[in-house]
Amino acid sequence: MNAPDFYEMFTLPEGVKKVAVQLDPKQPNTAIFEVQKEDHTLGNILTKRLLKDKRVLFSGYQVPHPLEHKILIRVQTTDEVSPIEAVRDSISALLVELSNIRSKFEFDLARAKAEQEAMGTTEGAGPGAEHRHIYPKDSGADPTLDVNVDVDF
Amino acid sequence: MAFNAYDSTLAPGADEPQIHIREITDDVLDFVLSNTDLSVANSLRRAMIAEVPTIAIDIVQIESNTSVLADEFLAHRLGMIPLQSINADRMKYTRDCSCIQACENCTVELTLNVKCTEDRTLEVTSRDLMSSDPKVLPVLSDPDDQGILIVKLRKGQEIKVNCLAKKGVAKEHAKWSPVSAIGFEYDPHNRLRHTHLWVEEDPAIEWPLSHNAVEEPSDAAYDYKAEPNRFYFRVETVGSLPPEQVFTGAVRVLQDKLGTMQIKLKEDDEPENNGFNAMGDPQDGIFNSQDGWNNF
Repeated sequence: MNAPDFYEMFTLPEGVKKVAVQLDPKQPNTAIFEVQKEDHTLGNILTKRLLKDKRVLFSGYQVPHPLEHKILIRVQTTDEVSPIEAVRDSISALLVELSNIRSKFEFDLARAKAEQEAMGTTEGAGPGAEHRHIYPKDSGADPTLDVNVDVDF
Repeated sequence: MAFNAYDSTLAPGADEPQIHIREITDDVLDFVLSNTDLSVANSLRRAMIAEVPTIAIDIVQIESNTSVLADEFLAHRLGMIPLQSINADRMKYTRDCSCIQACENCTVELTLNVKCTEDRTLEVTSRDLMSSDPKVLPVLSDPDDQGILIVKLRKGQEIKVNCLAKKGVAKEHAKWSPVSAIGFEYDPHNRLRHTHLWVEEDPAIEWPLSHNAVEEPSDAAYDYKAEPNRFYFRVETVGSLPPEQVFTGAVRVLQDKLGTMQIKLKEDDEPENNGFNAMGDPQDGIFNSQDGWNNF
């Protein structure tokens, strides 16, 4: 079988750079970032974020081949900023946005859980309330498993 | 007028993303993410499906299998059984582990040893799997759950297998996906015209509105500059991880990806520090680890 090994999707071979930056010789302020072992998940957020930056004239990415686990991100900027700096700014902005999303989520999770607990005590209702607590709350051994173990060998 | 990439996100409050959780149960998380870009919402969706690590049976050593199922058939079925994976963040990937094939840092052993001795069909289920780690057990939705049927045995048939469960991500094999499905929708009234509704006579009759339609006004005129802004998610897990951990895990994955790239860009070029700690908060409970997450 000539299928490529799955680990090629995440393991960076020895001596290969995670990110290689190449300046485009034909255009000013243009760089191509070759990012190994990444896909649309990273390429899309990054290029879309770059487009929101007024100093960025062009940003786009491609996955050159479905069996090569890398992406190429092309960025052209005005002369106010270098493509590398623009990418860094976009990454920082995205990291801020994500940690914002994370904290907003945790905040609202507490609210939603408190609300559902309150509903549970009055009516036992609420969508899905009939199967709460799959997980042993103290995450010790699952007491439910005691029932089944006597199989005849 | 010079644009500062920070301005739009660091301006207090104004442009921050918002989350409203509509439903949370043990296996469903339904929420609305707003004030963010479609690309961020979609990357979160992709990360939840394919990049949040869980534990699943990966290697099956078959000592005896006299059932009607072939060995590889049985091994495949065992692999698909969801295992409680709250411990996955504390486990190592075998490829990052110092051991050669398996050790307690990267592997959980499960054994299945069942023989049918009575004159009737014996159903072997996920409940018959014995785990070496009390925290990594086959998922059961409640105490009455029968477990997942693996194979049926008639009198005299026997199954004796040793399974090695490993940490992994669904990018490698879908058995590691913590979710069975994610509902994802934006613009339920198609005001942005991103969808072309094929229609015979009247789209209002032929295309019933989704339940998310009540969240948005329907009457706005077409605005060609408008961008999607509210995203409706419904995350349904297989039970290996609670849904809120799937979400926070996905955020963490994206932060790690971006952080790694930020650091690699820094390493390559001028050693200037722009003051941002790219790897996220170190006190982070769930995925705070020395386990290879940052190991690219």
